[in-house]
Amino acid sequence: MSTTHSKAAKAFLSDKANAKWHDKTLYMVRTKRDRLSHAIPEWEELRNAAQNIKQYSNSHLPELIEEFEKNATANGCYVHYAKDAEEYRTIIERILRDHSVRKLVKSKSMLSEECHLNPYLIEKGYEVIESDLGERILQLLNANPSHIVMPAIHIKREIVGKLFEEKLGSEKGNSDPTYLTHQARKALRQDFLNADAGMTGGNFAVASTGEVIVCTNEGNADMGISCQKLNISAFGIDKIIPDLESLAIFTRLLARSATGQPITTYTSHIGRPRKGGEQHFIIVDNGRSKILGMPQHRKSMNCIRCGACMNTCPVYRRSGGYSYSYFIPGPIGINLGMLHNPQKHSGNVSACSLCLSCSNVCPAMIDLGEQIYVWRQKLDVFGQASSEKKLMSKGLQFLMERPYLFHSALKMAPIINKMPRFLLYNRLNAWGKDRELPQFAKQSFESWWKKNHQSKNN
Amino acid sequence: MNSKDFIIHSLRENIKEHFPRPELKISHIVYHDKLKQFIEISAAVGGRAEILGEGETIDNAIRRIFPDASRIACNLPEVTCATYNPDHIETPTELNGTDLVICRGIFGVCENASVYFEQEYLQRSIYFISESLLMLLPKDQLVDTMHDAYQRVPNEHPGEFRGFMSGPSKTADIEQALVMGAHGPRQVTVLLI
Ligand code: SF4
Repeated sequence: MSTTHSKAAKAFLSDKANAKWHDKTLYMVRTKRDRLSHAIPEWEELRNAAQNIKQYSNSHLPELIEEFEKNATANGCYVHYAKDAEEYRTIIERILRDHSVRKLVKSKSMLSEECHLNPYLIEKGYEVIESDLGERILQLLNANPSHIVMPAIHIKREIVGKLFEEKLGSEKGNSDPTYLTHQARKALRQDFLNADAGMTGGNFAVASTGEVIVCTNEGNADMGISCQKLNISAFGIDKIIPDLESLAIFTRLLARSATGQPITTYTSHIGRPRKGGEQHFIIVDNGRSKILGMPQHRKSMNCIRCGACMNTCPVYRRSGGYSYSYFIPGPIGINLGMLHNPQKHSGNVSACSLCLSCSNVCPAMIDLGEQIYVWRQKLDVFGQASSEKKLMSKGLQFLMERPYLFHSALKMAPIINKMPRFLLYNRLNAWGKDRELPQFAKQSFESWWKKNHQSKNN
Repeated sequence: MNSKDFIIHSLRENIKEHFPRPELKISHIVYHDKLKQFIEISAAVGGRAEILGEGETIDNAIRRIFPDASRIACNLPEVTCATYNPDHIETPTELNGTDLVICRGIFGVCENASVYFEQEYLQRSIYFISESLLMLLPKDQLVDTMHDAYQRVPNEHPGEFRGFMSGPSKTADIEQALVMGAHGPRQVTVLLI
């Protein structure tokens, strides 16, 4: 019995070399994150603070929204509200139409994926250019992101080389990443200069200053907001934080968790419109306020979209983003998908071994694995076959189907004995909370057997 | 009901528990040799930071670090080797093709080599459009972490745009291979003066 996730994962795993590369590369990103976070003695304190700020801000949004609007308006910006995806799309289209825009240059925004903005605008006759390199590659390939921070992680350089040869006129057969990146830079530079409007998402919206903060490495959002006179930044209500003191906490956590960098190259504060231009902010609900009313799941609104839970997830790394039915994959995507449409996305709930690594790396301390477990208990309601559910509640279906994974999981177990206690017994590890973890044997049975068996044979 | 009222109403309906505002007192990492830390971490993020040489003028340093730059943008009085003042230019298109821009940083952050700047040029794009960028930063203006940094960022500010910049523009979107110069400057140097 297979779930929709494990069926889709088969396609990903059929290209063995690629699947192995994906697993290894994301694990490398996870290792970088470990290195950077371990260098900060106050790391756990920061995570705690991030969680507390989000719980405060998400439960005081009516006040904070008013404060943001007041300050942003005083800065000369326009503030709009969209209750759902449709309203978000129509507000943007109206702004573009009112300014006779034909070409829009965009920086990465998961909200625009959530609300299907591009197809809507393209259908209405606008030219829409994604400017983040990964997003641009996907747009030219007519494909979707498979990771929220590294959207084109599943695409190999040869494919990009061919694509650029065809679409940007790059050299035949050249698939060197530096060469290709600079080809895209050259082409997109023209797009930045001749577009009529720019659009960004937002990582944080600071109520006390009325600014929207955008964090990128490429500087594409910055090129957008500085080359165009008309700019739009749209964000979910969950992005609102109280003040700059809170922002300090998140800027320390975000890039370290995401890519293992101490900070993104650019942390840009979008405050006032350009001289003679307009800056529009769109604050979007699209189901978020309802989630804040669900005690078991409201913490998913703490998410700062760093992607760390994907990089660490043994199932995500080995099955790829396209194996999930929701546009956000990995542990946070499983949860958000269920909150969005449980009937449609319950097939993702099996994509979890309940190792809880996600909960332990999440910079906003979201209890991701624990929430997935809660969803599993409710699966009957969403019409999953009961035999399937039984398998899933064992939490091991994905590993069971892949013996090589299962073996490596067991081989890792002795490492746990060497981990510092605070890692094992922090408040988030539901298994460590009330009882001591069993001591794993110093050597796993399998490797003991192999070793002894071999020495006998010798 | 308009959409703002709809959202506020929905929030008031749904939020049942109000969490208190946390006290943010983080006892954070402190760097004893701030200059050394800042210079090291600048290299680690793909940039470069160096102290202005003994007896060296800023112009000399610019020429030494960027010998090939021919189109140099700057509006600072202390820089005389600039070839044009970008404030006299109307559109970003005319700024395109600039080799080097020199601008002022307000303070630097040791934990991540970022420099806080406020827009001091007429055109925001000058911070991103040039091939290289040189930040002039007083060497006694270094703080340890983003906590100290945001203590120094004022709530009210007169400018259009502000933010932090740490090293050159970069991407790893093709197979996680790190490439400098995605959209912004390919090379960023902080000159500590
Ligand atoms: S759930 Fe946590 S780890 Fe996952 S993307 Fe969001 S903030 Fe990052």
